[in-house]
Amino acid sequence: MRLRSILAPLFVVVACTFPSSTATNTATLPDRATFPAVADLLGKRCGTLDCHGSAYRNLRVYGSLGLRLVPLDRPLSKGQTTAEEYDADFESIVGLEPELMSAVVQQGGASPDRLTFVRKARGSEHHKGGSLMQAGDPEDACITSWLSGKTNVAGCASATAAAF
Amino acid sequence: MRALALFVLSIVACDPVHRDEVSALPGEVPGVPHGPTHRPGQPCLLCHSGDFSVAGTVFVNPDDRTGADGVSVSLLDSQGRTFAATTNSAGNFFVRKDDWQPIYPMKVSIASNGITTPMTADVGRDGSCASCHSDPVGPNSPGHVYTSTDGGVP
Repeated sequence: MRLRSILAPLFVVVACTFPSSTATNTATLPDRATFPAVADLLGKRCGTLDCHGSAYRNLRVYGSLGLRLVPLDRPLSKGQTTAEEYDADFESIVGLEPELMSAVVQQGGASPDRLTFVRKARGSEHHKGGSLMQAGDPEDACITSWLSGKTNVAGCASATAAAF
Repeated sequence: MRALALFVLSIVACDPVHRDEVSALPGEVPGVPHGPTHRPGQPCLLCHSGDFSVAGTVFVNPDDRTGADGVSVSLLDSQGRTFAATTNSAGNFFVRKDDWQPIYPMKVSIASNGITTPMTADVGRDGSCASCHSDPVGPNSPGHVYTSTDGGVP
């Protein structure tokens, strides 16, 4: 009887501690269709082989200027970033902080600096690559427009072309 | 000062990652003295980060490792500051920190036989050319830097 009185609450605690094996979280992702415009900027500013064009980075950026997805493709080949590389870039960036990114996207891109990759790009959080953009400048605006659900494709293209 | 230097040295010496990276490099070639012409094609700053800000090697061809002598290497950093270096008989060039330190990103071009070829991408943060330009060519490396008959650089 005493053992039973101990086991019962223990069972309740254990049952409430572990999530259901069928539980899922649904994330709201930023737009995939217009992402290539953003990815081209990321590839140029972040994806060099000595930075995020590396398989050893959490934010792994593939592209024609840097790390290639297919073993026979070559960096700096002046070719085009492939659709599969855009997919991999998309997965890489939305997978960094999926819950936070979902929240930012659901709220129309409000307070994008909740996302680590935005803070690092702005240099407001330690970033070995330094401060690459400032809040509101054309490059930053490209990223935040994507997070808001209204990707400025033309703005991203011109920011990419103008980037150092 | 000496104590500080010893402390830093002890940290560097005890860094297993750095130690393994250095150990993995090909060794010295017999007959080549330890100096400006040694270890062409290796990531210079792995050992010379205290002395050099940018360093690397330019070869003649994509398929062998004959050093390209007298190649002009032009560097341009994000602040618009420039520096020019020239490769030696081994194809090596180096920029001393006292002379110039880039604020990344940095653009690079090489000039040989009247042909100037810019690097397709920028350098993000690593002053060793060979950190990215390593052999063999693969999805994460364009291979070593070379001047070819068309002045190409991978």
